[in-house]
Amino acid sequence: MSGATASSAPTTKLQDPTDSSKSQSAQPQKPAAQLEEDDEFEDFPVEDWTKEEEVSAQQANTHLWEESWDDDDTNDEFSVQLKEELKKMEGQRKG
Amino acid sequence: MSNELDSLWADFATAYNTPDGYLLATTISPEPPKSDSARLYNWQRWTNSYSIQTDLRYKLQYNPDLHLEKKEASTWLDVFTAYYSFAGKLLSAEEAQNAGKSRDADWNAVYESWKEVLSALYRGYSNNVFAAWTIPCLYVVGKYLRVFAIKADDNAASQRDSGLAFGALQEEDAFGAASKNEKLEDAARQINRIFALCLSDRSEVQYSRKWALYYIANLLFKTYFKLNSISLSKNILRSLKASGSDMPPLSAFPKAHQVTFKYYSGVISFLEEDYATAEEFLVSAYEMCNIHATKNLQLILTYLIPTKLLTSHRLPTSTLLQQSPALERLLGPICTAIRRADLRAFNAALEHGEEEFVKRRIYLTLERGRDITLRNLFRKVFLAGGYEPLKEGETGPAVRRTRVPVREFAAALQMAGAEVGDGEGGVDVDEVECLIANGIYKNFVKGYIARERGIVVLSKGGAFPGTGV
Repeated sequence: MSGATASSAPTTKLQDPTDSSKSQSAQPQKPAAQLEEDDEFEDFPVEDWTKEEEVSAQQANTHLWEESWDDDDTNDEFSVQLKEELKKMEGQRKG
Repeated sequence: MSNELDSLWADFATAYNTPDGYLLATTISPEPPKSDSARLYNWQRWTNSYSIQTDLRYKLQYNPDLHLEKKEASTWLDVFTAYYSFAGKLLSAEEAQNAGKSRDADWNAVYESWKEVLSALYRGYSNNVFAAWTIPCLYVVGKYLRVFAIKADDNAASQRDSGLAFGALQEEDAFGAASKNEKLEDAARQINRIFALCLSDRSEVQYSRKWALYYIANLLFKTYFKLNSISLSKNILRSLKASGSDMPPLSAFPKAHQVTFKYYSGVISFLEEDYATAEEFLVSAYEMCNIHATKNLQLILTYLIPTKLLTSHRLPTSTLLQQSPALERLLGPICTAIRRADLRAFNAALEHGEEEFVKRRIYLTLERGRDITLRNLFRKVFLAGGYEPLKEGETGPAVRRTRVPVREFAAALQMAGAEVGDGEGGVDVDEVECLIANGIYKNFVKGYIARERGIVVLSKGGAFPGTGV
């Protein structure tokens, strides 16, 4: 008798957590007072922060902007093609 | 009476005795604190509508931990009475939603009952019963009024769409002039009242409700943007400017208020095409922003990148773009196209992103990147032209060829995918000249077109200003 109860106990214990995790993942319950807008400026989770937590204090944020042209790399594919095209035009004009 | 609500009243007393406005605001929040997630349920069960007045009086007036003035206690009694009724409405809406019946959730009732909380609180300030340190309570009522308004409007819209309204409403109501943003418009008016309430406070700055102004202004911006009435934001900016001398400086406010304010001010200037001002606000917002606020950083950059493109013709580095995959996806292709002077890719990127660009109101600004793409293309022609041959006896630095045939520009334009064909396999020279003339007019190119000779005479001293050649 006592053996039977002991053997059935682990099974129920094993099932419970899987069941509850399944129902949780199937229906994530968010607080009803929350709103999700994909393009809206979010409330910061804190009101204030230190200078160290500012973006400007980050090392990675030094080189942010660059010139809008390909820097004098006259050997890029387009420039090479362009030179060929111009050469061809030159040839036609002379010929 | 149970002890389940001890934490709420303990927080309330601690907030008053500290004093701590933010803690106080949590006692009337629709979102329970993480440490006490069942607070709203317990609050609902704590009393009932018959004995609530007595129960509250006991907690507020005869509480040994609290020493509230009679007027103050009775105002809080009104606030918590409204909050009690609100909690019931919110919990049933939440229950309907969690049961998958979101259409049955009565967000309208939630909105109206939350508005009662706002009104009770408002009276506390307009009668000068509540001190200025309690203003975070105004943040909470304002913030959630907007949330519930949006939910109520969404709900009404889905009911209208599904035709449910026909059964319940008179025909004239169903087709009435009621706006699809009826509640949100009402919320904007309520929040505006709070703004006026804070603006008109004549107390010494230290004890003034003016400390709530930027938070409330930000809330109004957010609401007006959602309502597509961005011009109304300018009234708020004007009011803030007008009371400038009686206000603490912006830099004295919490960074969350500062960054949000700068973001919206920047976007408003951006939309007015005042790009210099927009840049100033957005750069400042970006630099001060909290490093962990990735979504907000992404939004700031969404406007800063097109702004920079126009003010200084600069593009984000890959380091900057790669910080946010969403941003990289949104603006990466168009930036690459501009840098490579690839008109075909530019047009494709603009077309591909059109819907999202329009939604974020950056389409027209990005479109002006076409001028820069063209500038870069003409610059490539100039560089490909090489140098003038040195004349005999000449030394010194080589001089680039500055007389460039129009047909070379035409060839480049055709290769890059510009529509300059004449429809018969040739080139529409007028169209090519027009594009060059436009670049000269806009100061991207320095020089003139000698039409009769079919050449463009470029300036010897900096043909493409600001680009090193």
